[in-house]
Amino acid sequence: MNSNLRLKIGLAILTVFTIGSLLLPFFNTVDPSQQGKYLKNLPMSSAHLLGTNSLGQDTFWFLVFAIRNSLLLGVAVSLCSTIISVLVGLSAGYIGGWYDRVVMLITDSFITIPILPILIVLGALVRGSTSFFSIGLILVVFSWAWNSRTIRSIALSVREREFINMARFSGMSTLGIILKEVFPYVYAYTVVGFINSILFVINTEAALAVIGLSNVRVPTLGSIIFWALNYNALFIGQFTWVVAPVVATVLLFLGLFLTSTGYNELFALRRGRV
Amino acid sequence: MIKLNNIVATYTTVRGQVRAVDGVSLDIPNGIILGVAGESGCGKSTLLKVLYGDIGFPLTLQTGCVEYGFQGDDGLQITTSTIRQYWFRRISYIPQSSMSSLNPVVRIRKQFIDFLPPDRRKDQVLEEVRAYVKKLDLPPEALDAYPHQLSGGMRQRLMVAMATFFNPDLILADEPTTALDVVVQKGILLLLMDLQQQMKNTMIFVSHDMGVHYQITHKMFIMYAAKAVEFGDSNAIFESPLHPYTKMLIESLPTVGDDHLRQGVIGRPPSLWDNLRGCRFAARCPLATELCRSEEPNLIEYTPGHFAACHYAEKLS
Repeated sequence: MNSNLRLKIGLAILTVFTIGSLLLPFFNTVDPSQQGKYLKNLPMSSAHLLGTNSLGQDTFWFLVFAIRNSLLLGVAVSLCSTIISVLVGLSAGYIGGWYDRVVMLITDSFITIPILPILIVLGALVRGSTSFFSIGLILVVFSWAWNSRTIRSIALSVREREFINMARFSGMSTLGIILKEVFPYVYAYTVVGFINSILFVINTEAALAVIGLSNVRVPTLGSIIFWALNYNALFIGQFTWVVAPVVATVLLFLGLFLTSTGYNELFALRRGRV
Repeated sequence: MIKLNNIVATYTTVRGQVRAVDGVSLDIPNGIILGVAGESGCGKSTLLKVLYGDIGFPLTLQTGCVEYGFQGDDGLQITTSTIRQYWFRRISYIPQSSMSSLNPVVRIRKQFIDFLPPDRRKDQVLEEVRAYVKKLDLPPEALDAYPHQLSGGMRQRLMVAMATFFNPDLILADEPTTALDVVVQKGILLLLMDLQQQMKNTMIFVSHDMGVHYQITHKMFIMYAAKAVEFGDSNAIFESPLHPYTKMLIESLPTVGDDHLRQGVIGRPPSLWDNLRGCRFAARCPLATELCRSEEPNLIEYTPGHFAACHYAEKLS
């Protein structure tokens, strides 16, 4: 597929999701997580676009808030973890020496600790009452390490190139070299890593919610599925309750994926033109 | 005048310290092109590093220092310990390979203003850069390109432009034409000579191509196994070399119309790890005697401005 087309489709999906989930909540007057607001298990109608669920919530509005929350969580966590991983990776790779060894020891520990068991234990300790913020914090702590290791390896190889020597010879400071000479090398990778991180965060949060370890009262893509499974939505014929969040998640992932690969190719192409 | 006072530079290795430059003293007059010649491993690149002031692990300057003879912003004489602050403003460097010396993912113009002094405005300097680049026979559009979109000659011209833009007092060129074909090589050499004549700065030109040295240098400095063997005016050196090594280097140059086989310098330079006694060239020298093998010759001025380190220099001339 043409990379530009890919990027366009990806961005279009993301734009619809972003604008939709950020603007629509302003037109809603009812808190979507409030239970028993409507009659239970209503079919689709003009009043309830996707019907209502077994908890008496409007499925459509719950979904809108869920997408918003998941996206916000994904972007915020991914932004923090990308900044951390770029700073840690570039400085460790470029400065090297004992600094590199200490930083990489910490990074490697975070890579080798299996995240899911830790999250399950953490979740079990604070079962269900974890605040949305601390979920984000935990995800940041566990999502920066891998990227920072790959960025370090790029920086390690770039450091030995002649043009870094030239930059040093021209009197640039270490920070200047890291930001102006090494960072352009990892820039495209960072953008793709950022998008992939969003996927990872949404995915992990959903996984936690499905097994009931996230704060399931807050609407997220995972918490919808948690409640739907809990109330056996498929058996009672509430297909939209399960299908809608799954479709939304798949579409969101598709949008992020297309954007990330499309951008990667666009960046490579751009250097071919003056 | 740039003064090198008894420079001893060593590299730290697992086997210990190895002396890559061993006691070189040199006075370089201002406003000339000095050629530094010698075979691989003779210490010419290390000497250049010391001159540039890029001394860091594994290179150490054991003794000696360089006095650059020009004053810094604070009015003090610049020496090895302070030269770092003036990199690319008072002293600049033209590297060997322009392909690897330019960042492939950054546009040229951005790399140009990497060298920007903090008190200058970006767009203003960029205008000057465009005008300057045009003067050097380069299309100004080349500044907007990425390095891989330019030819080797254009890249090397851009490197020359970067190194000379701030009109530094001293320019070090480390084999700036090695990777280029002869036509482009000639263009770059003419450009360098031209710029040097206009700006009247000192240029130190490292190359192992004696033909290039003959074309562009005013003075020559020849090194062998970390030591200085001969120093003097290029004309004098090419006409009547005082050291057998220099003589053999010059004789290895082909001339048009002469088709008999060239004699190379037989043998290899000594290992710097060995316990070196006497003249370091003795093992390969056709004139070597017992004296050469036991006693080290000093660098002596035989005719005004022409130095050589050989016991039999007078015999040779």
